[in-house]
Amino acid sequence: MEREHLKLVIVGHVDHGKSTLIGRLFYDTDSLPREKLEEVRQICEALGRELEFAFVMDHLEEERSQGITIDTAQTFFKTAKRDYVIIDAPGHREFTKNMITGASQAEAAILIVDVSEGVQEQTRRHAYILSMLGLKQVIVVLNKMDLVGYSEEVFEKVRGHTLDFLKRIGINPTYVIPISAREGDNVASRSERMPWYTGPTILEALDTFKKTERRDGGPLRFAVQDVYNIEGKRIIVGRVEAGTLRRGDKIVILPTGERTRVKSIEEFMREGVEEAPPGKSTGITLEDKLFVDRGQILCRLEEETPKMVSEVKGSIFWMSSEPLQVGESVIFKCSTQEAPCRVEAIERRIDSSTLEVIEESSSRLENREVGEVTLSFASPVIVEDFNVTPELGRFVIEKEGNISGGGIITRLEG
Amino acid sequence: MITVIAIDALEYTLVEEFNMRNLKQDYYGRTDISEFSEPRTMVLWSSFMTGENREAEILAKGDKEMWNTRIPHEETFFSHFKNPFVLDLPGYNYDLEQHRRERELLKEFFEEKDEERKREVRRKYNENAFAHHRRVKERFFEALEGDYDFVLGYFSVADVIGHLNFGNRSLMKMIYRDLDDIVSRVEGKKIVLSDHGMKAVGAFGDHSDYGFWSTNFRDLGRPRITDFKRIVLQEALGE
Repeated sequence: MEREHLKLVIVGHVDHGKSTLIGRLFYDTDSLPREKLEEVRQICEALGRELEFAFVMDHLEEERSQGITIDTAQTFFKTAKRDYVIIDAPGHREFTKNMITGASQAEAAILIVDVSEGVQEQTRRHAYILSMLGLKQVIVVLNKMDLVGYSEEVFEKVRGHTLDFLKRIGINPTYVIPISAREGDNVASRSERMPWYTGPTILEALDTFKKTERRDGGPLRFAVQDVYNIEGKRIIVGRVEAGTLRRGDKIVILPTGERTRVKSIEEFMREGVEEAPPGKSTGITLEDKLFVDRGQILCRLEEETPKMVSEVKGSIFWMSSEPLQVGESVIFKCSTQEAPCRVEAIERRIDSSTLEVIEESSSRLENREVGEVTLSFASPVIVEDFNVTPELGRFVIEKEGNISGGGIITRLEG
Repeated sequence: MITVIAIDALEYTLVEEFNMRNLKQDYYGRTDISEFSEPRTMVLWSSFMTGENREAEILAKGDKEMWNTRIPHEETFFSHFKNPFVLDLPGYNYDLEQHRRERELLKEFFEEKDEERKREVRRKYNENAFAHHRRVKERFFEALEGDYDFVLGYFSVADVIGHLNFGNRSLMKMIYRDLDDIVSRVEGKKIVLSDHGMKAVGAFGDHSDYGFWSTNFRDLGRPRITDFKRIVLQEALGE
């Protein structure tokens, strides 16, 4: 049987030790390929330094960015209970998109804070995104305890400040753990240097979390990416965003509303595939020759289908120095759909670091601000409330060719 | 007190890509070396320390003799300081034997046809460069503790290793991270400066035709390498 896996996102200020923690998690759970580790150890030695996890992560990232290794083992670490998949690769360039799509797929989050620096602006922004996405299983780790002499007093002080802030945005972390990612304290094994701490290690804490993703994935949502003609077969390639796709399913194509059946599920070098689970990218063929194109959504006929709407309301996190302005046209991207839209209204404009409401109704959203934004479309889009089907309820906004913000859909209209 | 971290072949675009925050400091950019016919290490550092374009003079020495250049202390801006410390700088006081050995192994590598032996030469070449880097680092950190009014450390590792390994991005990134870490350990006013950058030629690296600069005190725009004499003296001594 396939092992259970839980999707985890690690967020926090860029200097607070995210890479080191990820490296440490891989290392202590023996999830790193040995020869890679040896290679990095040798280079560190050549440079006259100790093996540091930041270097290990650099190495893995570079290989990944060049497509040298697409080895799934590298994105997993394992405990006796299950596998963990880290969805947010550190150092990713498309930061906004990554935070929104990454964090919205996560079932649990670790928020990392440097105990010697406390909560910083970036910590606040990341925490805000977690709260916006409604993540409930959250661990706060106060890192770099080695720099403050493993002091209980310092820990308690920073813990207090952090919890105060998180409370204001509605996050109630399940655990707050004092750690040193560099030294390995309380990550996989209990620290002898902090006898005053009696709570779980990070791994123990993670293992208490529940899998929140629906096993069968709820109603079917198959997003079309492309259509190919291969050896006389018309293959529709896409991703099972939600639900489970089965051969023989009666389906309806949105937005055209045409109906047909799934004739086959096509996978490379495999015959007679019966189903495709949620999250799977695959190809299918249909009984009838119908018009199918990128951006369309295939749903099961007997299930509730998503709405086609010409106006949506969403919480948007804006992350570009070019502001989002009422009246302008931008590109809305949700799953494989891409649609031009007009910004109709911006309400409850909030500074994500101070949480101060700047204006109840505004004409613009500046960098690092959050707002309730109304968007209208010339032709309807297929979307859902984020709390119902997250896969069709999260989106990013592209302005002048750049991904500049992202958010979740909170209301559908028209 | 001002510290110059002189890094051979530190490439602007890689510092950006790897997002090395300490190398970038508060202000950073490219230097303009378009006045020189080619980005040559010896020419550029000699011009840096004297504040004058020394290309004609250095090239007149010929390909071999050029590497033995030793510009007299009084001709350099270091002489404006009471107690300066300059570590391993080409054209001034760098370890001739070390750099001769590097060039020799480099030549051997390109002349060798057998792949197996080529790898062995590269291993030796890398080992030699890394050993030197470790020694330079140690002496540089000692100097930071010393009683100097000016410290300059010259680091050749990115250039030397880059020539034979520029295509190995993860190795280059680790070297950049090590250099980034060195800069983070320097206190007070500091300038990071490279003579030229590096561009990929297959798996190898060749010099690119601009250098890199960064400071933690002001924006320098697009300076020429000969401007640094004035910048350093102004910042350190108010001259």
